[in-house]
Amino acid sequence: MSTAKRQSTVPAGPKPPVNFSSTVTIPKDAVLQGTHSITIQSETLIHPRARLDSNLGSILVGRRSIVQERAQIGVEPQNIDAAVPGGVSLGDYVVVEVNAVIEAGGTEIGDGSVVQVGSRIGSGAKIGKDCTIAARATVAPGTVLPDQTVVLSNGQQRADKRLADARKLSTLKQINVVRKMIRNDQDKFK
Amino acid sequence: MASSPPYTYIQCPCSNEEPAEGSDASSPESDSFHDAERTFDPRAPRSNYSLYPLEYLLYCEECQQIRCPRCVDEEIVTYYCPNCLFEVASSNLRSDGNRCTRNCYQCPICSGPVQVGEVQAEPETNLLSADNATAAPHGPYALFCQYCSWVSSEIGLEFERASGIPSQLAKMKNGGIPRITAKELKERRKEDPDMPPLEDELVDAELQYSALRSFYQSQINGPSNGLPGGLSLGDGHNFSSPAALTRMMSMWQPGGRGAQGKTAGPPDVFPEATDTDKGLKLAQLDESAKVQKLLNGGWNETVSKDQLLGQLEHAHFQDELRPLQCVLRTKRSRRCAVCRHIISKPENKVASTRFKIKLVAKSYIPSISIRPLEPRAPPVPVGMRPQQPQEPPLKPLQPYQYILTFKNPLFEKLKVTLATPNNTPGRFSSKVALLCPQFDIDPVKDMWEDALDGDDRSRTEETGQAEAGKIYKRGRNWVSIILEVIPPLLSVDSLRPHTASGEPTDRSPLREDEKILEIPMFVRMEWEPEAQHDVGDRVGKDRNEGQKRELAYWCVLGVGQISHE
Amino acid sequence: MSRRQVKGDYIETETGNKVSRKANLLGTQNMVLGGKVVIQPEVMIRGDLVRTAPSSSSSGGTTAPSTTAIQTGRYCFFSKGVVLRPPGRRYKGQFSHMPMRIGHHVFIGQDTVVQAATIGDHVRIGKNCVIGEFAIIKECVEVLDGAVVPPNMVIPNYSIVAGQPARVVGEVPEGGGPEENGLRGLYSTVGNNPQNPDM
Repeated sequence: MSTAKRQSTVPAGPKPPVNFSSTVTIPKDAVLQGTHSITIQSETLIHPRARLDSNLGSILVGRRSIVQERAQIGVEPQNIDAAVPGGVSLGDYVVVEVNAVIEAGGTEIGDGSVVQVGSRIGSGAKIGKDCTIAARATVAPGTVLPDQTVVLSNGQQRADKRLADARKLSTLKQINVVRKMIRNDQDKFK
Repeated sequence: MASSPPYTYIQCPCSNEEPAEGSDASSPESDSFHDAERTFDPRAPRSNYSLYPLEYLLYCEECQQIRCPRCVDEEIVTYYCPNCLFEVASSNLRSDGNRCTRNCYQCPICSGPVQVGEVQAEPETNLLSADNATAAPHGPYALFCQYCSWVSSEIGLEFERASGIPSQLAKMKNGGIPRITAKELKERRKEDPDMPPLEDELVDAELQYSALRSFYQSQINGPSNGLPGGLSLGDGHNFSSPAALTRMMSMWQPGGRGAQGKTAGPPDVFPEATDTDKGLKLAQLDESAKVQKLLNGGWNETVSKDQLLGQLEHAHFQDELRPLQCVLRTKRSRRCAVCRHIISKPENKVASTRFKIKLVAKSYIPSISIRPLEPRAPPVPVGMRPQQPQEPPLKPLQPYQYILTFKNPLFEKLKVTLATPNNTPGRFSSKVALLCPQFDIDPVKDMWEDALDGDDRSRTEETGQAEAGKIYKRGRNWVSIILEVIPPLLSVDSLRPHTASGEPTDRSPLREDEKILEIPMFVRMEWEPEAQHDVGDRVGKDRNEGQKRELAYWCVLGVGQISHE
Repeated sequence: MSRRQVKGDYIETETGNKVSRKANLLGTQNMVLGGKVVIQPEVMIRGDLVRTAPSSSSSGGTTAPSTTAIQTGRYCFFSKGVVLRPPGRRYKGQFSHMPMRIGHHVFIGQDTVVQAATIGDHVRIGKNCVIGEFAIIKECVEVLDGAVVPPNMVIPNYSIVAGQPARVVGEVPEGGGPEENGLRGLYSTVGNNPQNPDM
């Protein structure tokens, strides 16, 4: 029942130029494709089947971030007419959860923000620091969110008054545990 | 509950039992006859309240009738907290109210569950060094909502201990200001009798209520304080107190009021509370602070209707909301409203999913499923299953055939007679024909019989064709027949100017539910209960032995969507 | 688990589990499938995220002996695109995943992401739902399509929940209880020799 034998199904697109820190953990069944550069900074953790696409612009993932399985970063915008050229830039301690979609087009996500399960960030949105995009919430293209904003699934926004550092610490601890469970295969992408 | 076609809803007969129809009510036979004659209109406004999917219906063995949620009476078996799943004794309910008194709270903002956690999660370790977590400090604690990131320290609620949140919360107002309880006030007053009454801002609803209560209590219990007149003005609004009741009773006793006068008991006229200690609180008419807050905070700072509904006190702004104690939930038994027999009773224990008694309609009446004879939707690929194939809308004035499958849940042979109107009721009426309206369905066999009979496939008798008067397919305990429909043209212009009765036709634009092809169908079933196989294994067995039982009801088949331009 | 059939879109195990070859199962050694479980294409199960909690050593580096990360009962059905992921949290200062337990006759609809701690028997979860971390779903619960069950929520028996965040919106009627789940029938409609869904 192991799936390890048939990894050839990963589409053989152009291999993007990558720039990894040596402490990045990325398994071989993560999907990196595109033509622009993909930069992943130190101690960041990429889960299997996460998808980073640099076709529309370069992708930067900051330090100590987590990109979970099936998250898609750098997706072609839904509304291609309104899209701006550009890639995606994630700050430090950013967590992109399962099935989250971040559209390309100069999209920025600030340090310590969490993009939860199944949410969608529109092209060119600027998410501040320590924000939370709740599960299945949508951030419209071009939205600018101040620091510590919570966006709920119904579109409602509120200010997060928790201490942001506690969450960063959690993220760090999670990285330190999970990186041992994921077989790192940086070389495949180089 | 299925909402898109195909579906089958069953009409509970309780909606026909109208006590108002005096002439018919006396003779039940004529009533049922009357029922059978009349066509049931699934779009009639009242039908909304009598149509149920089969799973929602119960069956009363005693009345031999279908029972729906509207014609049963409910009785509470167990109270429990939906969050901690602890059972609450009904005696506690009286003292503590219908909310969980453990640490179960809901977020006042989003209604999600909140957890108790430490506010200072961990000392500030240098994040970029290592995870050298030192000994965790204790407290202060706060309530955290994991969904919307609300934390109770936002509104100044922090707790010393992680347990016993309700008692800590009761002593605290939003903002962490200690709340003055009536007891405290009393003690303070005892120490310093000359203490001036509290300022109005410090008196919250609870304190005011307790002050008012003690004020009026003292008057009810106290001797009549000699207010002259003795006019019975007070009677009008004191019906709820038992004292008022006895007083009223005494009025009817011969010579009661006049002769005895008011020797004891409460006075007829109650003075009103005149100061803070008695529970007077002046309305705050100066709302400039609120207006200012609204100007600064804007719409997002105000509470929504949903948020307000959960609150005990009125609030204008988000920061006035308090965490909500979880409202208890119940397990309930159901009685037939006619014969008072219990027809459903869950086990008492909270964790149990079993029922002591459960007489559900689906173990008495056949289930009906609908599917097209020739599906036009492509089959769902195996990997996508179980997705429902989406049939395209039906084209007007074209015949369509559907397979209706009836499954017998009984251990007896079931004789089924069906009837549908040739034309469905409503402005746009479809033509309907049942190719085989009368058939028998074999009983459910128990496992042994089934094993002895061998493969049930050998016994299936298949016509496999849509032939009039013949069953389409027959299985072990099911029968399929063919239903033919011709949907109407959904165009207001195509309607005749007058109905059969001569009234002008309703020419209003097409309504939403007129696009759905719904067919009323009358089902009459007959069976002879056998004592040894009686399903319910309940009372009234001997009496019914050898007798034929019958049950008749209307149901509605939601067949599909009709296309229109 | 031996392979009965070499060809076909599904791997059918001795205990009757039908696992699509297009499913992503990670850490299969930490998974226990209860038999007659259906795993549809593009389902992702993170058996590799095992519990590390009782690591007594102060360094926190050594992982505990690998335990079961995900356990399911009989006749579970995981539709296309489902993600099952053991929930994780900080426990005594350390981060650890915790095992996920799924009961018998549990249906999970398409593209739903589950990070629950426990899902009871006869639970039906619709499509496009998110079940938050450490949610506890008791028996015979129905989660309607698109619901977002917040982390740590407890859903009692026979509840119907919906919405974002999910709340209890109704009760499963008596007639819709455990026996009327249809997963046995559904089981036969997939696999290498699927039957027609009707009848």
